Amino acid sequence: MSDATAQANADGAASKRRLGVGFWIAVFWLFIVFFAATFAPWLPFKDPDNNYIVSGERPPYAPSGTHPFGTDQDARDLLARTVFGARVSLTVGLVAIGMGMLFGGFMGIMAGYFRGWWDRVISFVFIIFLSFPALVLAILITALLERSLRTISITLGILSIAPVGRIARATTISFADREFVLAARTLGAKNGRIIIRELLPNVLIPMSALALLGMAVAVVAEGGLAFLGLSVEKGPTWGKVILTGAGSRDLQKAPWIAIIPIIVLFLTVLALNFAGDRIRAYFDVRETAL
Amino acid sequence: MRYWLQRLGVAVALLLAVSALTFGAMNLLGDPLFNILGPTSASTLPEDLEIIEAAKAEYNLDDPLPVRYVKWGSAFVTGDFGVQFSVDGQPPVSDLIKERLPRTVMLLIIAQTMAVLIAIPWALFAASRADKAVDKVSTVTSFLFIAIPNFGLAVILKYLFSLKWSIFPLIFNAADPFWTRVWQLVLPAMALALPVASVYQRLLRTDLITTLQEDYILTARSKGVSKRNVLFKHALRPSLFSFITIFGINTGALLGGSLIVEQIFIVPGLGTAIVEAILREDFPVVLAIVMIVTTAFVVINVLVDLLYSLIDPRVRAS
Repeated sequence: MSDATAQANADGAASKRRLGVGFWIAVFWLFIVFFAATFAPWLPFKDPDNNYIVSGERPPYAPSGTHPFGTDQDARDLLARTVFGARVSLTVGLVAIGMGMLFGGFMGIMAGYFRGWWDRVISFVFIIFLSFPALVLAILITALLERSLRTISITLGILSIAPVGRIARATTISFADREFVLAARTLGAKNGRIIIRELLPNVLIPMSALALLGMAVAVVAEGGLAFLGLSVEKGPTWGKVILTGAGSRDLQKAPWIAIIPIIVLFLTVLALNFAGDRIRAYFDVRETAL
Repeated sequence: MRYWLQRLGVAVALLLAVSALTFGAMNLLGDPLFNILGPTSASTLPEDLEIIEAAKAEYNLDDPLPVRYVKWGSAFVTGDFGVQFSVDGQPPVSDLIKERLPRTVMLLIIAQTMAVLIAIPWALFAASRADKAVDKVSTVTSFLFIAIPNFGLAVILKYLFSLKWSIFPLIFNAADPFWTRVWQLVLPAMALALPVASVYQRLLRTDLITTLQEDYILTARSKGVSKRNVLFKHALRPSLFSFITIFGINTGALLGGSLIVEQIFIVPGLGTAIVEAILREDFPVVLAIVMIVTTAFVVINVLVDLLYSLIDPRVRAS
């Protein structure tokens, strides 16, 4: 490494101790979205499935005081649909990355800690999953099974196991030979204790940054599935709300139907990416997979 | 040599696993007879029973699953993808694929070309002004583009460039001459290319900055080589290594993305074909498209590896 890079890294070290204003703005936005989604049924939103037809006027209605985001072709309130859609989209994101962390994290730590035979089998499974276009697997499962919230969440969860697991493995390997692990072992700690008390806390920090990024990926994936007609069948989701306004005629006459939910989705993904990125920089996580 | 044999083995094993899984799942979870005949399949009337027997014979439904898999697989390898699950089974799946595949491939080629053409100058520009205001703006821009999902970008581009300003055509017409069709695919390709270009730019910029700090760059500069020549002739090539890897990975991602973007721009490619097939529960078509996409994905990854070892002899040695 040349001097200039060393200098750049030192600068990075100085600035990384702070998360910055942007991080808190992102967290604030995420808080609003999560709060609205969680408590939607008890907050004064309109009914997402009701048709608020004004007699004498043909829907869709443009954004106004009564409908801040406007309504769709069936005169359904888009603010309510976006908020209730967030419930589905965020659930999908949380379940997906939760599964990835739980199973991927477990498999990755096992592979990284025990190495040898374990490592070879688990790594091979990861490679198979990673060399398979993710969307195709999602299409397959959702095309064959009923399209419930559970199916979609679990499908995207399965897809997030390998990417998360690979990073868990790499991080574990980089910690497994460190002095504090050796010290614990010399003191007579068993494998289980070393993994839980020594390795897990260290692996969890980089994983939390990854969790935010992974959640963004899962939320976007739901939208993509919606465009293929494969998202959750019942109720609004972000992808489905955007899809209702994406046809050429609707887009020309009533652009707000698609574009406002796109902006909400975009801001959420941006906030997740940015917060994840900042956390990664803050804890100085290296992306290099061993 | 041993490495490549191993690599090939893994690729073939993967394709076998995917096809067996897909084929098995479709036949076990779905009901092929119902998909072909509709409600008639459950009928017990004598004249319907004849139709059922005929369909079973035509689609080999009485054979055990492994036998059907082998029959389907050996036909698939020779390019015969079977018949569609419809009453008359026309056109054959391979004809449908032959019609749809070139459009998706063309879309991908345009998208990748655009992404590279945008990313390289952008990265050179940003890297030569590293950490100045322009570079910071460009970093923020790329961050924004990466966060836009491709379907969102596609809808916005369609709204702005085809509906509002009428710069690009709205409709893809398969009967138009070649270059008109290419022009019709530019906007869908842009929806795919912009986020990918941002990913490329970010990576290439980082690599370029590292390269620009090497001693031989300083030597070239002090010999009086112009800044532009140093960038293009000395710094770019060695910075392209990790770019190639990510180019391969993103081709796979673009394949998935193109299925979605085709829906929005109503391009009759593989994406629209698979959506129609899913709606009709026409599983042979779904199966064929899944296999084509997976095969392409695997082949591209192997090619990237190969290209990598051609450019960098060190990879070959290890």
